[in-house]
Amino acid sequence: MSTAPARVDARAKVTGALRYGADRAPESVAYAAFAVATIARGRITGVDTEAALNLPGVRLVITRFDPDELTSPGFIMTGGYGFQSLQPLLDDRIAYRGQPIALVVADTPLAATEAAELITAAYEPEPAAFTLDAPGAETLVQAQAIPIPMFADTAVGDADAAFAAAPVQVDVEVSGPNQHQVPMELIGGVVEWHGDTLVVHEGTQNSGAVQNGLARQLGISPDRVQVISPSVGGGFGQKNSLQPHIGPLAIAARRLGRPVKLVLTRPQTFHQASFRPASRQRVRLGADSSGRLVAAIHEIDQQTSRHDLFPAMYTEVSSRFYGIGAFRGLQRLVRTDVQTPGYMRAPFEHIAAYAMESAVDEIAYATGRDPVELRLANDTAVDPVSGLPFSSRHVAECLRRGAERFGWAERSPRPRSMRGPDGTLIGWGVAIGAYPGSAAAAIARMSAHDTGTVEVAVAGHEMGQGIRTAIARLVADDLGIEIAAVKVGVGDTRSAPQHLTAGSWGTATALPAVHAALRDRLGVPRTGPVDMRAAVAATGGSRIEIEATSVARGQPADVVVDRLRKGLLAIAGPEYPEFVTFSHIAHFVEVRIEAATGRVRVPRVVSVADCGRVASPVTAASQVRGGVIWGIGATLREQSLVDPRYGGFLNPTMEEYPIPVSADVHRIDVDFIDEPDLLLNPVGVKGLGEVCMVGVSAAIGNALFHATGARFRRLPVRIEDVLPHL
Amino acid sequence: MTAFEVNGRKVDLEVDPRESLLAVLQDRLHLYGTKKGCDHGQCGACTVHLDGRRVVSCLTLASQVEGREVRTIEGVAGEDGTLHPLQRAFIDNDAMQCGYCTPGQIMSGLACIAEGHTGDDDEIREYMSGNLCRCGAYVGIVAAIRQVAGPAEA
Ligand code: FES
Ligand code: FES
Repeated sequence: MSTAPARVDARAKVTGALRYGADRAPESVAYAAFAVATIARGRITGVDTEAALNLPGVRLVITRFDPDELTSPGFIMTGGYGFQSLQPLLDDRIAYRGQPIALVVADTPLAATEAAELITAAYEPEPAAFTLDAPGAETLVQAQAIPIPMFADTAVGDADAAFAAAPVQVDVEVSGPNQHQVPMELIGGVVEWHGDTLVVHEGTQNSGAVQNGLARQLGISPDRVQVISPSVGGGFGQKNSLQPHIGPLAIAARRLGRPVKLVLTRPQTFHQASFRPASRQRVRLGADSSGRLVAAIHEIDQQTSRHDLFPAMYTEVSSRFYGIGAFRGLQRLVRTDVQTPGYMRAPFEHIAAYAMESAVDEIAYATGRDPVELRLANDTAVDPVSGLPFSSRHVAECLRRGAERFGWAERSPRPRSMRGPDGTLIGWGVAIGAYPGSAAAAIARMSAHDTGTVEVAVAGHEMGQGIRTAIARLVADDLGIEIAAVKVGVGDTRSAPQHLTAGSWGTATALPAVHAALRDRLGVPRTGPVDMRAAVAATGGSRIEIEATSVARGQPADVVVDRLRKGLLAIAGPEYPEFVTFSHIAHFVEVRIEAATGRVRVPRVVSVADCGRVASPVTAASQVRGGVIWGIGATLREQSLVDPRYGGFLNPTMEEYPIPVSADVHRIDVDFIDEPDLLLNPVGVKGLGEVCMVGVSAAIGNALFHATGARFRRLPVRIEDVLPHL
Repeated sequence: MTAFEVNGRKVDLEVDPRESLLAVLQDRLHLYGTKKGCDHGQCGACTVHLDGRRVVSCLTLASQVEGREVRTIEGVAGEDGTLHPLQRAFIDNDAMQCGYCTPGQIMSGLACIAEGHTGDDDEIREYMSGNLCRCGAYVGIVAAIRQVAGPAEA
């Protein structure tokens, strides 16, 4: 094993040398900015661009593209590439507040910004709806609106009858707010033409979709589009598909014959990209008098846009938390006048866990059982939905080990029974989390050189999760070479087809196949260290190139590889032919509430994760801490406030949308079960980046109940919610 | 013309009176280690030192730095590439994930130590709370600063 640093790009990060998408200004670059709609729904009747055009340095103002010049990229969830189907600047319709109405390109960023602000428009507004209950919001039953099996409602047994007959019942309704991903790196990049080839530098989690989506939008071949995104300054789901500014930039760059750069302002990232939809979750849970769970009914209303149906997948996970024999889910979509909402870290699982795990906690109190013991008693080795075994499931061990590390045995069970010397209310809570184990098709390319260097290119985007390091490590360990001799290329459509990177380790699974192929070509044994320099030289050439393809279990190889090459989703799981895969976690949380002010602190969290083999313990622990901090933010701080009169979000800045800061974060102890899941893939890894956030909110909510005796149904929980219960 | 020093190097530029120091560092001087997260003084990603004190470069006009010394993340390691102990400590404590906030954290961390705001970890947290990290690398960041500042005061 090598003694390399925890991250292969750590030095570049601490010296400021790492380049992100917009970190460049090529010779003769021009700068773009958007003017945006000030109504939420209606028609544009005129745009006044004169003042903008008269400003020195302004080169172009575009208010409308021709249909043969630019088309919709299609919606990522219906076979397209865009975060939404709606491409601005194609017609006179306004579908949401903040939608671009004109693109300005100028010699300097200041001129572009000033010109965009000088553009005014006249509108014919129409009534609009922004919240789940607003008049004009249209509610659809998802299973009917999107008749595709994976979006159908989960149903096992007769949950309504079992619930009605259950001696212990709880009925919980939770409301989940709009939230935004707020990656530190803004959305934006630099677009330029090299002859007929479009080169895009943009931070994205899905350069394959950007490549193929642009090709579709512009009517050119995907091989004429190169997307380069080796390092992303955080994505969290917001950068997982083609953003609608890139197509317009490409056309502007072609018209001007210059590279064009655009970085959205922070408020624009709240209005021109995806966000977490508002939702309402009702969970009814029935148990026998011993606390054995016998029935669960989970009904969800989730916001979507008027122009796209963003599919809800809450019950996929809530039906698998415990071995409940009767489950019924109902997922409804509520159309409102917003840009299309989308994925934000633990998109469904986080809030589903808040509802389910609050309800489970209530059952524990109703039946007089310890919350940890009750959860252990309801654990299962078999997936209650499919009847298949879990490929691995270590929930019980996560709970036991977490309880031990946290000191759960010291807990006094009665609410309001633990106080600090100064009157501070103390609460201890527990919850579990689960996240589906997906796998994606991948093509890995490797070249071995007679210098001893190995270059590997594979689908994947480095967003801070440490994928570049994990790949380098796997290659080095497997081939028995120095980690420094491995050069990893990710997020680059020039070197390998790129798939969405989100909560999946599909990429790593392509490596064993490419190693085996390389060893065979070199004529060296299938295992053991390789003297790369000598082996390559022995072939008589200076380099050997190998390509290998891998697909997830049960995936039809030809179909998914074709989808992968087209930049479409090529994901399998969590149900595979012989098993079901989820990652799991248990969180134990202490909250302290200042008696005078109601201010809630989270001084201590213990999280024990079951993510299969832990490829890199240091970066994995960092990732879990990050997920826990996301959970703290989502529970106690973050909400994108909707303006119910005019639409849009009222707090679209880093000051007013309060993500957690250093002072909010204290001790977070992380541990791993570290049992490889070799059924899921030959490396034995399951996803970690999402599951680590799931259940944090519920554990905090349960701790708040323990501290105050009150249940908080609306997230985030604010001081004014807590104050009446001190 | 506006003349100032960046990492010990003299620069002399025509700047628009509205142009921020951040914009000048990035696209005019190609020093991209200084990052933009908000352009409104709310996130700390653009933190640099101006005459030894930390400032957010997005709210500092380039024209204001006439005759002054600017130090960016690119000027923190030694000429020969030797990392500053705080850069080393960031690596040792895995005080980063995506790395986008990292240059700003290090510039603020250096100032936090120089200002003497490292009495205990809560003080570090307080004085580092102007530097947001969406990845949530805070535990490592505080540990890195603690490592360089020396043990907490009793
Ligand atoms: S970019 Fe300057 S503080 Fe955010
Ligand atoms: S490391 Fe990603 S924002 Fe701090």
